[in-house]
Amino acid sequence: MKVYEISGTTISVALFTDVVNSKELLESMQAGTLEPEVALLNAKLIPDIFPVLAAAHKTLVAKSRDSLTTRTLHSELVYNYSGSKHISESLKRCGISDTTTYVLVARFSASDDEMIAMKTLIKGNEVDLDELDGRADKNQIQKHYKITKPELDVSTYGDAITCRIAARDAL
Amino acid sequence: METEANGESGSLVLIKQGAEARVFESTFAGRKCVVKERFSKKYRHPTLDAKLTLKRLYAEARCLTKARKVGVVTPVLYAVDTVSHSLTFEYVEGLSVKDHFLEFGSKRVGLENTDEFALQIGNTIGKLHDGGVVHGDLTTSNMLWRDGKLVLIDFGLSFVSTLPEDKAVDLYVLERALLSMHSSLGNVMEKVLAAYRKSSKQWCSTLNKLADGMILYYNTVLSFHCGLFF
Repeated sequence: MKVYEISGTTISVALFTDVVNSKELLESMQAGTLEPEVALLNAKLIPDIFPVLAAAHKTLVAKSRDSLTTRTLHSELVYNYSGSKHISESLKRCGISDTTTYVLVARFSASDDEMIAMKTLIKGNEVDLDELDGRADKNQIQKHYKITKPELDVSTYGDAITCRIAARDAL
Repeated sequence: METEANGESGSLVLIKQGAEARVFESTFAGRKCVVKERFSKKYRHPTLDAKLTLKRLYAEARCLTKARKVGVVTPVLYAVDTVSHSLTFEYVEGLSVKDHFLEFGSKRVGLENTDEFALQIGNTIGKLHDGGVVHGDLTTSNMLWRDGKLVLIDFGLSFVSTLPEDKAVDLYVLERALLSMHSSLGNVMEKVLAAYRKSSKQWCSTLNKLADGMILYYNTVLSFHCGLFF
């Protein structure tokens, strides 16, 4: 688990492979009973942690202005990561499904106890964040974020996604 | 469990003040960044001012993203804030092309490097124009040089257009900028246009317009002088 500092608060992030309880996680999240409340992201779309931090920054700014688009702070993070304005589609693509086995879990301003709780919540294998790049599905990223070939010649996947996240409302 | 303290913003250091915006240096999620904040113009009607500022903010973010899509190197956009009218970009390490050119001109060294600069300037503009983006403010201070690669900045006056006239005006602005700032380097524009011709598929109509414009310009200048003399 890694903790990053963003706009005065923190975000704790952990990466899991071979997750077996996605179905239960999804159900309790939709029922609103997930304890502690976390954001569960489809890690296949994450080649680098930086775009997640950019999405987190955007989420915190929206929160500070009481202008969240989705119901909770953590669903807003998933929505913001997508770079699309379509909420349900975004949550479906960048969130987890019944069959997802590769998950990035994140929580804002988590206490030490909550971080331990986050880890027990997910039944899988925790791996280092350095593995993000190797495990990402580049084809899916290219399609989802509409990243062109010429752009990849001059930019990394992470930077391209960051631009999409930042510019979403302007497009 | 490890904690990574990524010193977060808070500190804004003013690095430049222009007519439309202020530019600050700061940090964003652990990376060095640049914040460009458009300020409101008190002489404009508040409603119009709010609308214009927001529209230009969005246009800048859009054109920058579009430029990246066609393979032009631009700073990475980190965040867009519609309340403070600010854009947060990646901090690009390196001097502007203007600084490099001025040094070539004053010290008379590294003149042979101008060819490489001109080549990349031409290529970049060619790609940009073929992608349908007109930069609107092509000057050597809006081009940065990072590790031997050109980075185009400031899309504040950019717009999307496929008209050869608009692209020709873009080139014309650059030509005037080169002439007024860097005339001691010889004809850089000629080399820029040679590269542009190679990289842009639509160079023909654009350069025709540029030529038309030149004739028009010289005619105006000529008639102005004639008016003075006679």
